[in-house]
Amino acid sequence: MATVFLQAEQIVTQDEFDLVDRAQRFLLLKDESVQIVVFGSVLMGMSCGLIGSYVVTRKLSLFGDTLSHAVLPGIAVGFIWSGEKNNISLLVGATIAGLLGISCLSILRKFTKVQDDSSLGIVLSAFYAVGICLLTRIQKVGYSDQSGLDSFMFGQASALSSDDLIGIIIVLLLISLFIVINYRELLISGFDPGFSRSIGIPTESLQYGLWALITFCVISSLQMVGVILASALLVIPAATASLLVKRMRSYLILACLLGAVAGLGGAFLSFLGERLPTGPLIVIVSGALFTVILFLHPQKGLLIKWIISRSENVRIARENSLKAAFQIIEGKSFEDTLISSQEMMRKRGMSSATIEGEIENLCKAGLASKALHQVSEIKLPRQTRFTLTPSGWEYACRIVRNHRLWELYLTNEAQYAPDHVHEDAEKIEHMIGEETVRQIERLLKNPRRDPHGKLIPSITDIQPVAISQET
Amino acid sequence: MARVLPIEIHDLTVSYQKKPVLYGVDLEIQEGSLVGILGPNGAGKSTLVKTIMNMIRPNGGYVKIFGKDPKIGMKQIGYVPQRESVDWEFPVTVMDVVLMGRYGHLGWLSRVTKYDRQKASECLEQVNMLPYAGRQIGNLSGGQQQRVFLARALAQESSVYLMDEPFAGVDAVTEKTIVSIMQNMKKEGKTLLVVHHDLSSAKEYFDQLLLLNMRKVAFGPTSKVYTHELLQKTYGGRLAVLSEMATEMAKSPELEL
Amino acid sequence: MNFFPVFDLNTIFLVPWSTDQLVQWNGQVILMGLLVCWTNGILGSFIVVRRMALMGDAISHGILPGLVISFLIFGSLEIGPMLIGACSAGLACSFCIEWLRSHTPIRQDASMAIVFTSFFAVGVTLINLQTDHLDLDTGCILYGEIGLTPLSPDLLFMGLNCGNRSICLMGTVCVFVLLIVSLSYRQLLLTSFDPTLAHSYGWPVKLIHLGLMFLLALSTVASMEAVGVILVVAMLVFPCVTASFFSERLPIILLITFPLGILYTFGGFHLAHWLDCSIAAAMAIAATIIFIIACALSPRGILLRLK
Repeated sequence: MATVFLQAEQIVTQDEFDLVDRAQRFLLLKDESVQIVVFGSVLMGMSCGLIGSYVVTRKLSLFGDTLSHAVLPGIAVGFIWSGEKNNISLLVGATIAGLLGISCLSILRKFTKVQDDSSLGIVLSAFYAVGICLLTRIQKVGYSDQSGLDSFMFGQASALSSDDLIGIIIVLLLISLFIVINYRELLISGFDPGFSRSIGIPTESLQYGLWALITFCVISSLQMVGVILASALLVIPAATASLLVKRMRSYLILACLLGAVAGLGGAFLSFLGERLPTGPLIVIVSGALFTVILFLHPQKGLLIKWIISRSENVRIARENSLKAAFQIIEGKSFEDTLISSQEMMRKRGMSSATIEGEIENLCKAGLASKALHQVSEIKLPRQTRFTLTPSGWEYACRIVRNHRLWELYLTNEAQYAPDHVHEDAEKIEHMIGEETVRQIERLLKNPRRDPHGKLIPSITDIQPVAISQET
Repeated sequence: MARVLPIEIHDLTVSYQKKPVLYGVDLEIQEGSLVGILGPNGAGKSTLVKTIMNMIRPNGGYVKIFGKDPKIGMKQIGYVPQRESVDWEFPVTVMDVVLMGRYGHLGWLSRVTKYDRQKASECLEQVNMLPYAGRQIGNLSGGQQQRVFLARALAQESSVYLMDEPFAGVDAVTEKTIVSIMQNMKKEGKTLLVVHHDLSSAKEYFDQLLLLNMRKVAFGPTSKVYTHELLQKTYGGRLAVLSEMATEMAKSPELEL
Repeated sequence: MNFFPVFDLNTIFLVPWSTDQLVQWNGQVILMGLLVCWTNGILGSFIVVRRMALMGDAISHGILPGLVISFLIFGSLEIGPMLIGACSAGLACSFCIEWLRSHTPIRQDASMAIVFTSFFAVGVTLINLQTDHLDLDTGCILYGEIGLTPLSPDLLFMGLNCGNRSICLMGTVCVFVLLIVSLSYRQLLLTSFDPTLAHSYGWPVKLIHLGLMFLLALSTVASMEAVGVILVVAMLVFPCVTASFFSERLPIILLITFPLGILYTFGGFHLAHWLDCSIAAAMAIAATIIFIIACALSPRGILLRLK
């Protein structure tokens, strides 16, 4: 075991290998030490992702942060106890410190009026201060081989030994077992603690179990991510997963995967850049993943949403125009299908520039076509005339249908005064989607007339009106 | 010349995630009214109050407070929030809280004056809480807490008051106190809009009722509005398709993350 | 190995003040400590009553990349660039947290954890990529070195020598914070207790919140050299929480911050002299001990209530 550990140290200090070469060595998994690092980072990422799912859903993110800082004195005491950098004693010390921290939090919560967030702040800074005090003391006393302690601050993946790997595997197994065995109970107690207690689920024990697992996970990841940033890996992959899926099962799997990717990515980057601590890099990788998915996710990404809302506005404006066009034609009893911009202006109550723009848009979308010939009448202002194309007509009918169904519903079921209903497509689109309208339709049993007695065009009614082309 | 209405709402529409919470609400509140707002949960009562207080922007229609935009008009409204929204561990005393009602009258750098303290004491006296002036607010019962917030609202010396479920979870004594204070305020010509949760008591407490269920079902004098038919329409019978769907959404087994 | 040095009263309490030179040196250290405790204690009280204790933690981590980037841009560790960089980063951090919380399904605690750890990670990585040039080392960031305060160069402001740079900066920030708090006490109080009422008065609630975050960033930068980014949290949280065991009114709590600051500074100073460890850590430990005592013995504390 010791020889493997020494080899790991050597990897870091290679100056003669250049970047590409190092990348190759990493990716091809040639050295045993590299294999350990790869396995370690992936498995640790998986643990953090799995337990992190519960951290995020149960709002324990800052608890994780406090815990990761609180283990510092344990590491220092472990070092002093064994007199050297013995991983076992360091990690035992960290575990004890972690559990002590949890006890302090419980005491503060049960016996004092100190708020939860303040208790976290207290435990975090108090334990951390003791840790720093001991560390600076260690520096002054001048123990040999204290350099290893630094790696616990920000992590150093290349210093991972096979002992550490075993620890990581054990923690992963523990976490997986816990989750598999208690899956349903965890789900219920997370969603509704009161209810779960009432049906006999040991809610408190489950909570303590989670806290203990969080502690173990933090400790197993210390070597890679360090004390300061250990909590990040608990939160960020799981939070990223929460943007993509909603079902708990897929959430767990995705968080696990993202954690593994982050761990691996960070380890890889740290390997490339010599002496760069792993912790910050792992956090940066997971943060980058988070940001990318936040903005670029196909349906929910913010960038996509913004693009969609822009096109939404265009669509809504278009639908309002079409509806107005339909109403104008209807007003002429469907005999004259030629619409003038002036009529549109009157109907829509907008300026001629806006109307001209709208007509342009309709034509561009293939929903209308401008009449080529203009009736020249002396002293009448120049106007644009247009007709609806067959697809335009169909679209218009569809919209009018939806809106009139909605109006009918409102007046019949919701008792609105008939003159009180919106003309604006935007409002209706905002309120109800297509889905709702279909439901209303079924509810009202496919009516034919709206409250004003106007026609509600049914699907079979929509036929392209003969377009008279003026030449 | 008609006087400007304290509250005028026209065609107010507020939706949340493609579901209408309020749709096309019209309301005209006259000065000196004592109005109770009734409706089932999720019917938009709190939303209405919050929209008047400019905390939510409507999707359509408008609200006018004394003819002005809510952003300006809300300063003239005394708002008594729901009790759950307060941090009871906060290190302030009863007097401190009531004095906060006076802050709206002070400039940025002005000090709290003797008149402010006097007014605060008077308001505490009105709600029978003066002996508790030095107590931290966490050490009070539910009813006492509610009375403190009422005193704070009184200290604001507004002409319009908006109260969100002031009677929820209070004892009988407090309830009587609040009702009598509301009656006094009405006599003084104040306008009160109160979200209420209890059907039976609504009949006695308020002169006018607004029945709300996403839309205005009815508004008018209690005697005319408090009928079986209208209450049925508000609370039961055929639920609006949309609120049915909203209920379905709430029951969804998916984990809301 | 003798881990804990001998507890000799003379060495610990008298020697530091024995010669003129020592008095001058240690006096500056103490002064810095007092300023750090007072400033952060006052600000921290508002942070705590707003139930945002860990926001102090978040902001103090979040300023790091700002410091490094401003060094990269301006090429110096002068106060001006440092303050600009740190405050911008602090505000950016606060803004990102708020944005994440309101525009995505991510909740408050997760938003905080995501943003400040990412910011901090970026900062640390940048430092590590620049080890040859930068004077900032991670140790300084993590726990500061208040004992080296007297070594700070003198501040030259418009040709005038103002004395020790660190103390000048911290002193200015302290005065600034005290001024703002006393002038805007009502505003801070109401927006902390009932933002809805404040909003109904037409007050710019969000702006006031940002202002508080700005002051926090300012204070953290100024305190960083002395106590590092993580122990700042101790200075923010402990005074208010400890004082709460003695008073139920905010103005009194704020006043109690001052004697507490004196206790933390002197207590930590002498504790560090005994243990020969980081003074900042010792100050935080002193704060913890005082907290435990207050918690146990005060009328509102544990022991008397258990009886």
